[in-house]
Amino acid sequence: MLKVENLTKKFNDIVAVNDISFRLSEGKMFGLLGPNGAGKTTTIRTVLNIIKPTSGTVRFKDKVINEEFFNVIGYLPEERGLYKKSKVLDVIMYFASLKNMSNHHANEAANHWINKLDLSALKTKRIEELSKGNQQKIQFICAVIHNPGLLILDEPFSGFDPINQQIIKDVLLSFSNSGKLIILSTHQMETAEKLCSEILLINKGKEVCSGSISEIKRKFASNNIKIEFEGDGTFIKNMSFVKSVDSYNNYAEIQLEDSFTPSEFLKAVIDKIEVKHFSIVEPTLNKIFIDVIKEDSNKK
Amino acid sequence: MTILKTLAVAKWEYFEKIKTKAFIISMVITPLIIIAFAVLPSMLSQQEDESTKIIGIIDSSQNYFQELKNELTKYKFKNDQPNFVLQNLFDSSLKFEDLKKKADKKVFDGKIQGYILILNPRTDSLKFEYRSKSIGSFSDLNKLENELNNIRIKNYLTSAGLSQNIKEIVNNNSELAQIIIEEDGKESSSDFMVVFFSSFIFIILLMMMVIYSGQMLVRSLVEEKANRLIEILISSCTPEDLLTGKILGLSLLGLTQLFIWAMIGITLAGAAVIPYTAFENILPMLIYFILGFLLYTTIFVGVGSIVSTEQEAQQVTSYLSLIMMLPVVIAVPAIQNPDTMLVKILSFFPLTTPSIMLLRFNISEISIPEIFLTISILILSIVLMIYISSKIFRIGILSYGKRPSLKEISRWIKEK
Repeated sequence: MLKVENLTKKFNDIVAVNDISFRLSEGKMFGLLGPNGAGKTTTIRTVLNIIKPTSGTVRFKDKVINEEFFNVIGYLPEERGLYKKSKVLDVIMYFASLKNMSNHHANEAANHWINKLDLSALKTKRIEELSKGNQQKIQFICAVIHNPGLLILDEPFSGFDPINQQIIKDVLLSFSNSGKLIILSTHQMETAEKLCSEILLINKGKEVCSGSISEIKRKFASNNIKIEFEGDGTFIKNMSFVKSVDSYNNYAEIQLEDSFTPSEFLKAVIDKIEVKHFSIVEPTLNKIFIDVIKEDSNKK
Repeated sequence: MTILKTLAVAKWEYFEKIKTKAFIISMVITPLIIIAFAVLPSMLSQQEDESTKIIGIIDSSQNYFQELKNELTKYKFKNDQPNFVLQNLFDSSLKFEDLKKKADKKVFDGKIQGYILILNPRTDSLKFEYRSKSIGSFSDLNKLENELNNIRIKNYLTSAGLSQNIKEIVNNNSELAQIIIEEDGKESSSDFMVVFFSSFIFIILLMMMVIYSGQMLVRSLVEEKANRLIEILISSCTPEDLLTGKILGLSLLGLTQLFIWAMIGITLAGAAVIPYTAFENILPMLIYFILGFLLYTTIFVGVGSIVSTEQEAQQVTSYLSLIMMLPVVIAVPAIQNPDTMLVKILSFFPLTTPSIMLLRFNISEISIPEIFLTISILILSIVLMIYISSKIFRIGILSYGKRPSLKEISRWIKEK
């Protein structure tokens, strides 16, 4: 369990992170979301014990995080790059040795991951000879080689093709299921939505929204429906309880006035058009993100 | 636990750098450059032109021609061929101006190398001129000048009626030989080559090594900063471990380089290019060398962690390199006046201690307390510098963009 309580970090007079709290529990991947400059990196750096918080605590397994935890933390920073002139296996072994792995164990683990991510032909190549995607895989291996209990990943999927994205997603899910704590910081809302059970959305250093994905979706659920139909649907936009409508020939996305339910709408239209498909739209995390951040920014 | 990580960093820095082409090239090229600097100029100036020079002389008094001709016969090449042949260009039937014109023409026609013109020979305003198309060889002119003056003095002494004996005494020059004495009764004669090779070369080597590896260090730091590798590194070990590991690795690299250069030096000594005596004080000199290297490298790390782009890195390293060259520049006057107050003071100023001490070891005797004191000062400054550098390093490696002001840096150092 990782517990972050009332974390605040000031650089001179600038407050980068302002009173943020969250907790991670086993089996639940955690999404740290927010626009650029929201304070994600600073939060991550504090959890990594790279910088000391101005106030607040970070506890891992009920102990304040300190240098003892270096070997149980894995980190993949957003900017990618490795020692270009060095050989693949050498680089992996170096990072393993920095996590105090014995040569024997490191070698075993390195080979396991190299095979798993289909890189065995590249083992003795220099990093600069590898494609961008393969370099990223190497970096991913460097972050997980020591089997960390806490894994912090900043944009782990950028630069990967869909196939490799899937591979990494599967690895992360199996990690999470095996009890590793994972913090995922990303701008890919779709990915966060699929992988994370809990999220924290921050803006300008402050929490704007947090909780489990399903809770948040429920909270931000608006009265939106999607309908596919046959017949003349032009009357829909003139109905009194329709707030707005985005209509096409046989398809419309409709936002209802708050006091009306989707079922009432369905009752009202069912005789006039032939309904082929009807569904209540849950807001995507993407939409929630944009709405919440906009609203938060307008407040100030 | 942290020692293991420091060693891991050191091992990585050492093996990754030693494999680079740049390192291998520099290892071979640097001594070559130094030897070229040391040997070529003296070889060039000592290289004799193996052709006899025909030199004219216009001497209205006719006092100098015969004597000079006699004296010049002692200058010969190895094969007994004379260095100079003197040709009398004086002709009493011609006017002075015409004589000069005729002689000038001979020079331009290539019949003579040049000619000596003696003006106002029997008066106090006597003047010697050597007239030629181009500036003559320094050693040739020196010989001619010496002989002319000897003849001048001889002539004067003869006219003053002094005996042959006294004339010889006046003409005999005694050289001042330099003997270095030591308290245990040892004596040695100082030879410029020895001092040069054993001291100056060490200093240049030290500075080249520091500058080279310093630049390498700063460049790799900038790279690690740019691709955020540094964040992975310091989420695995403390900045202090990282810094110490880097300095350690680099120092090992420097030692390797030094070892290989020493091998080259000893081989050359075997081939009698470098005198063996240059290696007499090798042990204490090695200590100063290593300590100096550590001190400078630590400074490089601290300063290097502040910059975040390649251009800035180049700027900063070239400033630093300039400062590093200062001891080399100071070394030249210090080699001439090893016992002045300033040199003594500079021996205790940590930035110049290594190079000045390297120099002084071969020029004069240094007392044991002085050695201990300077070494202690060096070690103390290294410890202090590691402390300061690691403070700067800790924050510097995480700050990007605008270069911090001195005020900010001093705040970093004070921060706990």
